[in-house]
Amino acid sequence: MVIYSFYIFDRHSECIYTKKWSQRPTSASTKSLRPQSGSSFTSGDGAASGRKALSKEDDAKLIFGTVFSLRNMVNRIGGDDNTFLSYRTGEYKLHYYETPTRMKFVMLTDTKTNNLRIVLHQIWANLFVEFVVKNPLSPVEHPGGVGVANELFEMGLDSFIKSVFPS
Amino acid sequence: MYDFPLPCPYSRVVFALLVINKAGGLIYNREFHPGLTKLSSNDLLILAGTFHGVHAITRNINPAGAPQVPGGNNPNLPPNPMSYQPTGIEVLESSNFRLQCFQTVTGTKFLLLTEPQQPNVDTTMRRIYELYSDFVMKNPFYTVEMPIRCEKFDRSLDGFVKIKS
Amino acid sequence: MSTPGLRYPSNRKSIYDRHLSRSKGAELSRASFAYLFVEMIGYAQRRVTGIADLEKRLNAQGYPIGLRLLDLLLYRTASSSSSSSSSLSASGPRPTRILPLLQFITTTLWRHLFGRPADALERSAASAQEYMVTDNEPLVNSYVSVPREMSSLNCAAFVAGIIEGVCDGAGFATQEVTAHWAGGQAEGTGGGGEGGAAAENMWPGRTIFLIRFKEEVVEREDMLEKAGR
Repeated sequence: MVIYSFYIFDRHSECIYTKKWSQRPTSASTKSLRPQSGSSFTSGDGAASGRKALSKEDDAKLIFGTVFSLRNMVNRIGGDDNTFLSYRTGEYKLHYYETPTRMKFVMLTDTKTNNLRIVLHQIWANLFVEFVVKNPLSPVEHPGGVGVANELFEMGLDSFIKSVFPS
Repeated sequence: MYDFPLPCPYSRVVFALLVINKAGGLIYNREFHPGLTKLSSNDLLILAGTFHGVHAITRNINPAGAPQVPGGNNPNLPPNPMSYQPTGIEVLESSNFRLQCFQTVTGTKFLLLTEPQQPNVDTTMRRIYELYSDFVMKNPFYTVEMPIRCEKFDRSLDGFVKIKS
Repeated sequence: MSTPGLRYPSNRKSIYDRHLSRSKGAELSRASFAYLFVEMIGYAQRRVTGIADLEKRLNAQGYPIGLRLLDLLLYRTASSSSSSSSSLSASGPRPTRILPLLQFITTTLWRHLFGRPADALERSAASAQEYMVTDNEPLVNSYVSVPREMSSLNCAAFVAGIIEGVCDGAGFATQEVTAHWAGGQAEGTGGGGEGGAAAENMWPGRTIFLIRFKEEVVEREDMLEKAGR
């Protein structure tokens, strides 16, 4: 199980949080889980090693467009009570969870990972709600990712991911 | 939600099959079992176009970095255009159905909508591809990339998908 | 000299250098034939005026094959039986009566082309000139789905052309040999007693080849019959 990246989109379809994990450790001694970035647009050193070398913003937009289209398509085919869970390509797997407040939690992993809907739900319920929503200093909306990447949320996410993806 | 009898482990509940040509046009659609929303032909066309576009995007999202080529970058071998192709969506899961996509080397896409826990979809898909190769591609009256109207393809699909489920 | 290629294989032995009996039993990929047949029909369809015209062209494509196959198969039947080893009668006996000819078609020819005998051989009740060969599932049609607007077209007209070539080559002139779907044909000729809906459901591609000999052929047949030969 390898995790590649994690995104949160708010109900205005803006990416308010991005986190990427280094994909391939260059040497065996390097820890495979090495947080690279914090909040989406605040820290800018995204050495994206993607094939197309997409910028972080482009990547997030592509992913949002994809999950948005697929979510609508899935609802149209399967009815309104149907929920989009994940898709898998030959290279990666995308997991999707939408909160009742229309926040979208997206996680990209390798193809062998089982469905992470519960993990995403736990991130929302135990971390986002606890440390972002309940934070009195955090704004109600998060334009540009304001107030999401606070220290408690980052630390909580980091240790939670480490427990889910033991390396 | 499931008002049809639950299938035994080896049965196949295949809801529908869609075939999309390389330009994103819907050239075949067939419903085998009810259970999903009934879509108008216009909706289906839009759906095919949407999927075609999303499929192309998902090929460009590449979080894993450069793909690992099994043979490595062997300079003695000629570059093989096929081995570097990212695949795009292969399986999509939702609570009510599972969508399996198979893209041929020529860019035709087969979408199979099945139950979420459907076993052996790969086998079913391969068989459908065989039937397509036989009764569509070998049919003198079929024009490539155009809508598929081949009686024998319909009939063989019925024989394969419906009877076994 | 010639360079190796499609026409001249690397061992310098083209199909013409091979012994006639050697490729006996050799089989051809069904898919290769299917793709070739696709192109043959595409070719025949160019500037075609109608279904009858298209069937005529397919027939014309089969005719020369029939002529050649008659020679080849007669030669092979003789060499396999090897009863008469004299070099003069290297060929097997050419059928001189209608029934042996039709049996040659439904067994020897059919086995060579399709690997099995034809499914039925009948004489028309309506006319002494007409005979019917039935194939439940013609190989040439195995992948063909005829569009609805051309539903009367039967691409086995190609096989009908082969039959016509064999008949003509053997000295049995025909008015025409045509391929028909069993469904539409059953009432038309009044033949085919055991036919019926059950067989049609089981064999939706059931095809009847209608062989219509010329009058003089039937006259000759009657004379030979009377002469007791």
